[in-house]
Amino acid sequence: MLSQLKIGDKAKITDITSTEKLVRRRLLDLGISEGSEICIKCVMPFGGPVMIESCGQCVGIRRREANCIEVEKF
Amino acid sequence: MEIALLGNPNTGKTSLFNNLTGSYEYVGNWSGVTVEKKIGQFKNKKDKLIDLPGIYTFNPLSKDEGVVTNFFLTDKFEKVINIIDASQLERNLHLTVQLIEFGKPAVIGLNMVDVAKHRGIQINPSVLSKELGISVTPIVARTGKGCDALVKAASELNIVNYQTNIISYGNEIEKAILNLESLIGEQSEHSTRWLALQLFEGNQYVKDYLSQFLDLKLLNELINTLQDDVIQAYGTKSLDQFIYQKRKAFIQSIIEMATERKEKSIVPLSEKIDQIVTNKVLGLPIFLFMMYFMFMLTFDWLGTPLSDALDAFISGPVSSGIDSLLTTLGVSSFIHALVIDGIVAGVGGVLVFVPQIIILFFFISLLEDSGYMARVALVMDRIMESVGLNGKAFIPMIIGFGCNVPGIMAARTIETPRERLLTILLTPLMSCSARLPVYALFAGAFFAKNQALIVLFLYVLGVVIALILAKIFSKSLLKGETSLFVIELPPYRLPQFQALWRGTWDKGKGFLRKAGTFIFAGSAFIWLLTYAGPSGFNVEMDQSFLAKIGGLIAPIFEPLGFGTWQAGASLITGFLAKEVIISTMNIIYFVPDAASLQGLLIDHYTPLSALSFMAFILLYIPCLATVATIYKETGSKKWSVFSIVYALIIAYFISFIIYQGGKLIGLS
Repeated sequence: MLSQLKIGDKAKITDITSTEKLVRRRLLDLGISEGSEICIKCVMPFGGPVMIESCGQCVGIRRREANCIEVEKF
Repeated sequence: MEIALLGNPNTGKTSLFNNLTGSYEYVGNWSGVTVEKKIGQFKNKKDKLIDLPGIYTFNPLSKDEGVVTNFFLTDKFEKVINIIDASQLERNLHLTVQLIEFGKPAVIGLNMVDVAKHRGIQINPSVLSKELGISVTPIVARTGKGCDALVKAASELNIVNYQTNIISYGNEIEKAILNLESLIGEQSEHSTRWLALQLFEGNQYVKDYLSQFLDLKLLNELINTLQDDVIQAYGTKSLDQFIYQKRKAFIQSIIEMATERKEKSIVPLSEKIDQIVTNKVLGLPIFLFMMYFMFMLTFDWLGTPLSDALDAFISGPVSSGIDSLLTTLGVSSFIHALVIDGIVAGVGGVLVFVPQIIILFFFISLLEDSGYMARVALVMDRIMESVGLNGKAFIPMIIGFGCNVPGIMAARTIETPRERLLTILLTPLMSCSARLPVYALFAGAFFAKNQALIVLFLYVLGVVIALILAKIFSKSLLKGETSLFVIELPPYRLPQFQALWRGTWDKGKGFLRKAGTFIFAGSAFIWLLTYAGPSGFNVEMDQSFLAKIGGLIAPIFEPLGFGTWQAGASLITGFLAKEVIISTMNIIYFVPDAASLQGLLIDHYTPLSALSFMAFILLYIPCLATVATIYKETGSKKWSVFSIVYALIIAYFISFIIYQGGKLIGLS
């Protein structure tokens, strides 16, 4: 799960299908989908959002969505 | 000729627009600065340039993105300039590919080549141009480098014969496109290929458009059959995903040919800054500290001395200058009083707060231009989520500190309708710059030592009440619908002085314009109401129409500590614009400057009732322009009325608690 990664960890997204449909669409717009390589940049406290980096751009998503994204850690 | 400017969010469209047209539109470093199309004239005075909100694809998720799809479906334009962020080539080209399918002549402006180079990406524009079949010009939108070449490329464009089929989507889809083409026939002027592909991707706007001349049932059938065919033939999950994958493969092959990558391992400065400002522990305190710093500078360290100096200038040389000019001209005593006691007092009373407002606007521009705004949304998301909103709703609120009208407009970038409505309804609780003169006046009179703290308390009060109401509304009136939060965090930019100044001026001139029109006319009118009364003209102030009107509602405010006709009258006039409250007071109390007004106020208010009054002003009603914007944005009379009614109730409630509670614990 993406939310289990720590700051600085790098991983590859393996499954994104269980996220909310609109979130998936928006991530796709930003070029993040299955197969994308990501890196965790920040994690907000109290279950707040996480900031991930992919191809040099940073995107913030909620922890709940991060829980739905399966990844493979490098 | 009309040329549309299209591109992803935050790629520098508005910067380019300003450079090409020589105008000063509002530029920021966060997604969604432009929420409505803007039209400007090219420097050649012949052609028009249309700035559109940023989109990732023609299939919209939020309302500001829908503006673009609608524009392409219904508006008239000849050419398109597509601006592309070189550092994010892949996702930018998804839009370009769709633009090519649309079939209008287009050129590409390749922006942010320097950022790409920093990341080790080198792009060859001529290869890119050859593969896409349209001209590519490298530009630096912020400085204007390469813009002339881009305009030249655009004006040399041929209007005819455009290839729309750069990607082959496989037998099934191609057949379906032909099928739809024969169904549409000559009924649409748009590229059928584009219409078909957008329809297959699930673009609701295009579907609505096509249903004008085709049966909706037929369209749905066509989509469903195609989806089944594609899934069966290729084993993909859905039709839209299949189309996306086809485009992606095409784009990746182009990027392969047109770019060169060098591994670079240095951490960009932007990420270093993010390690601090979006730090787990420090993130929120840093944000709060920045806000505190902003208020201290505006109200204490810098703003107040400047305002005082301006006040002395207006009430001294300016006022007496006009006075002696009128005497020399020998105007009637009526005109003399109208100008001096009405207009000079009313407009001057508001103008003295310009320095403070300019400082505040400067900070808001700084937040926008640097890229910190998106981080604020990220930092605040957890708190906002707990009240049923998302972090993005905080951006309209911060902009609302400047003026509620653009704040409400900025809510368009929020994707889900429920959260958008909620944000629109609550943004008026953000203390806008027009309310600032009231605080400055009262806090200066009653809390001179803790002026900035008192003002900060009011700002925080507005935010806290907005959050509490968000929670209540989302549990009662606006239930359901999950919230969505995905935010792009742009790299930090060193703010350029010119851009900052433009941003500040852009916001500040609205305030000055209001002073010259609304407040000018309002002051004259209010003065007339104090001059005339039921018994004739030139009556005692207490016998004037204004006193009668104010006196009518004054008893309602008795429990809040300010049941005077003066307070009642200024609250009524404050609906026009909040600054008018100050104009009205200046006229009513018949004083030449803010300092003597403060002295007079001490006789009419106690510190406690002053605090209660300030809280009431903060909350009581959105001004006329804000209500009009709420109506425009929600399209609903019901919600516009609601925004007025709930604000009145909550203002009464809070002021009651402050005044009566304060009395109970022995303050008076």
